[in-house]
This record gives sequence, structure tokens and C-alpha cells, in this order.
Amino acid sequence: MTAVTPARPRFRLAPYLHFARVAMAREGTYRFDVFTSIASLLIRVYLLRMVWLALYARNAAPSELPLHAIITYSTIALLMGLVMDIDQTRLLHDKLHDGSIATDFMKPINVPLYFFSDGTGEVLFHAALIVPSLLFALLIVHIDVPSLPVLAVFFVSFFLGYLIGFCLNFLLNCIAFWTLEIQAMQLIVTWITDLFGGEIIPLVIFPAFLQRIAFVLPFASMFSTPLLIYVGVIKPGRYLEVLGVQLFWVIVLAVIATFVWRAGAKRIVVQGG
Amino acid sequence: MQRSRLRVMLGVYQQYWRINILTTLEYRENFLIWLGFTFVYHGSAIAALWIVLTRFPSMNGWTFRDMAFLYGLWMIAHALHNTLFSTVGDIPDHIRDGEFDRLLVRPLDTLFQAIATPGQVFPDELILGLITFAAATWYSGVHVDLLFVIFIPLIVVGGALIDLAFNLFISTVAFWFVRVDALRWIVVQLEQEFTRYPISIYSQGVRLLLTFVVPFAFMNYFPARYFLHKAHETSALPPEIGLLTPLIGVVAVAVAYAFWRLGLSKYSSVGH
Repeated sequence: MTAVTPARPRFRLAPYLHFARVAMAREGTYRFDVFTSIASLLIRVYLLRMVWLALYARNAAPSELPLHAIITYSTIALLMGLVMDIDQTRLLHDKLHDGSIATDFMKPINVPLYFFSDGTGEVLFHAALIVPSLLFALLIVHIDVPSLPVLAVFFVSFFLGYLIGFCLNFLLNCIAFWTLEIQAMQLIVTWITDLFGGEIIPLVIFPAFLQRIAFVLPFASMFSTPLLIYVGVIKPGRYLEVLGVQLFWVIVLAVIATFVWRAGAKRIVVQGG
Repeated sequence: MQRSRLRVMLGVYQQYWRINILTTLEYRENFLIWLGFTFVYHGSAIAALWIVLTRFPSMNGWTFRDMAFLYGLWMIAHALHNTLFSTVGDIPDHIRDGEFDRLLVRPLDTLFQAIATPGQVFPDELILGLITFAAATWYSGVHVDLLFVIFIPLIVVGGALIDLAFNLFISTVAFWFVRVDALRWIVVQLEQEFTRYPISIYSQGVRLLLTFVVPFAFMNYFPARYFLHKAHETSALPPEIGLLTPLIGVVAVAVAYAFWRLGLSKYSSVGH
């Protein structure tokens, strides 16, 4: 993402590291929310385990996903959700709401990069929650652990999925330049992402025609790709292809986000007279 | 005296709906987008059930047709609650920003005033719920007889009352702990996720919890089990228990209301 602020001074990394640190500290003050997200995660781990157990007990299991693989899939999906379900760029919407974005434009910083570092700080804090959540989750379910190289590719793919999610959230929050009521739209996108991203149900067990639709949408690159790599449905021979598709979506969405951001930022200038 | 007070309340309640509908008409785009959200929310839930049950035709003996009825029954009760009582959920906000104190000095029941605080409520979800439930009833092949016609409206009201009891209970907690968002989030999620499937798939502890402690199973599972004639469910309770929902709803609200009175008597303003 490039800057729109004219003639900014030489780039320094230090302020952005500071923004990220501040965001982490801010998140840490809501301790009860931390407790809630872990509790709600554990409830869902239990729920999905019971659901899949009930479904596998009386029906023929799909050959590509045996019971232990699907329970692993669901648990990892929920853990990924701790990071992926955060709206890292909410700050943009809030600042548009109260008007404080105007002063941010006057500061000698790259504004989108400021939101990125703030969001990353928030995400890093929540990523730390994965460890205790995982330990608790292991008390409820047993999950498979793949070999180290597969795990490494999984993390690369997870990171690309995170970038897609970031661009999508940023785009949605940019809509606030035009209309401040974006909550409903965000929720709609969240539900669609959950379903078509394969967060709740693996896309490989979708009916064929829905599978074809789901795999051409960007949402599949957010959850489904890293998860299918983890459980071994995507074999090493296809790694380059699926990572390429993820990278493609990162670039496409980043370009769109840049254009929308520029158009939106111009409006602010116009309103400011 | 009593009669005239009732008339005043009715008048206020009419005004409340008038303002709601006028506000909705004023912010039409906003309304449309929230309608879109309601569609996607319930649509994606039903789609998820359909996808899973296409691949695995039976969940503990329940087919997609059965599950559609189960979902429709929950949806209509939940939508009825959201339409009439969603404002109860705003009470913690009123307490936090001090607005609540204004309700205390007015000459009408405090809870009634909280319920009748205008916002942007519109019965869109309820209408969608009615359509979904009618379609699900037809699709699941439930026999519509006199018993069904008499009991289903009562069960829906009972289900909405169970919802109201939890909404009121959580809002009352705000008298002691100002922030209750986290608690609400957990209960909402419990309800939403655990009412989606027949409770016979869970372990005994969870089944007991959903029957006796947080009786969400009475919103849809027990009545659906009765009307779908699911005799083989692993449960010690007789199927007729599914007709008890209205009673459970009334009891739940009575308990929550007693708690509310207690909270109200202990209330001291946050100070503004």
C-alpha cells in the first residue's frame, strides 16, 4: 500500500513499532475479553467434536477425511480464527466516525501503514492466546501434528491467508469513507467467509457444484488452503500452485484496497475544505 | 385507577412502535442492509446444515428434513424475542451512560420503560421466521392437527420467554458488574450453536445442562422431538415433555424477574 500524504519525510520504522506496541498494551487491558475468547473457543471445540462424532458414527466416512483428520481440521480452524476473526482495521472506521482521522493525515506518517502496525500489534497479542487455548483444547480433543516441512508450509500459507483477511477488512472499513453504517455489511461478509472459506465445514465435503464456486472465491485462500495443507489433503506436489493462488489474491485485493483508499482519502480532503 | 394505568402503558407502547416504524422508514438503506444481514445469517446456518446432511444423510437418526423443522422452530421463537424484547439487552448501556436513572424517576414501571425505549426495531426477522417455519413444517412432513395448531403458538411464545429470561438475567447482572458484554456473548453463542443440533448428540452432562440449567432444549429440541415422533432418542424423559415449553418459559421469566427486582433494589447509580 502506498502513501497518499504528499512530500512526507524520510521513512523511519521506529514509530510504527511503537504503534504496534501501544496496540498490544491496549488489548492487554481487556482481560475479561481474553477469558471470553478462550472459553467460547473451547465450547466450540467441544461442540464440533460432538457434531462430527455423531455424523461419522452412522454414515460412511469420506475417504479423504477420516474422523481424526476432520476433528484436527476443526480445531486448527478455530485456533486460526483467534487471529483471523479480528478486525484489525476497525481503528480506521472509529477514526472516521469521530473525525480524528483528519489530524492523522497531518502527521508525518504513512496512514495506511499506521493502521497496519496498529492491527498487527492487536493480532500479535491475540496470537499469544493460541498457546493457552491449544493446551486447553488438547484436554478435549486429540489432534494430529504433521511433519515439520508440512508445518512450515502451513505457516506460510496461514500468513498469506492473514494478508488476504487484512486487505478484506481494510476494504470494508474504507467503505466508512462513504457511509458510516458498515457493521451489518461486515457481519454479512463474516458469515459468508465462515461458510465459503471452509472455516466451519471443509470445502472438500461440499456438493460438487458448490465446491467449484467456493474454490474460485478468495475466501477459500483464507482458511481452506492452510487447513487442507495441515491435514494433508493438499499434497506437496500442489503446494506451489495453491500458494500461488493465495499470492494472486493478496495482490489483487491489495491493489483494489489501494485504489479505494485513495478515492476515500480524497473525499476527506474535499470535506475539510 | 388500575385500568387507566394500563391504558397509559398501551398508549406508550403504541407510540413506541410508531417511532420504530417511522425510524425504519427514514433510514431505509440501513434497514435494507440489516435485512440482508438477517437473510445471510439464517441462510448460511441453514446452508451449512444442508451441506453437511447431503454428505452425511443422518445425524443420530435426524435427517435434513427433521433438522429444518428444528431450526425453523428455534428461529421463529428467537425472532419473536428479538422483535419484542431486544431492547432489554440495551439496559447495561443505559446503566453505563447514566440514562437508566431517568427511567427510575418516571411514573411507569422501570422494566416496561426499558422495553419500550424506541430504536430501530422492525418485525422483519419475525416475518422471515414465519415463512421459514411454515416452509420447514411442510418440508418435514409434520402432521398439522388440532394439537399442533394449539400448541405451536404457545411453544413459540414459551421459547421467546426463555430467551427473554436470559436476556433479562444478563442485563440484571449489570447492576453489579457494569460490563456484561462478555457474559452475554458466551450465552448467545451457547444458545445459537447448541440449539442447531438434536441434543442427543451431546454427552449426558451437557444434555442435563441444556435441559435444566439453561433450558434452551425446550425452545426447539423437545417440541421437535414430540412433533416429529422421534421415539428412539436416548433420553429418560417422555416425549410429552416437549409440550411443557410454555410452562418452562413462564417459570424462567419469573425467576429472572425476581432477580431483576432484587438488582433494582440494590442499584446505586454509576454517578454522572
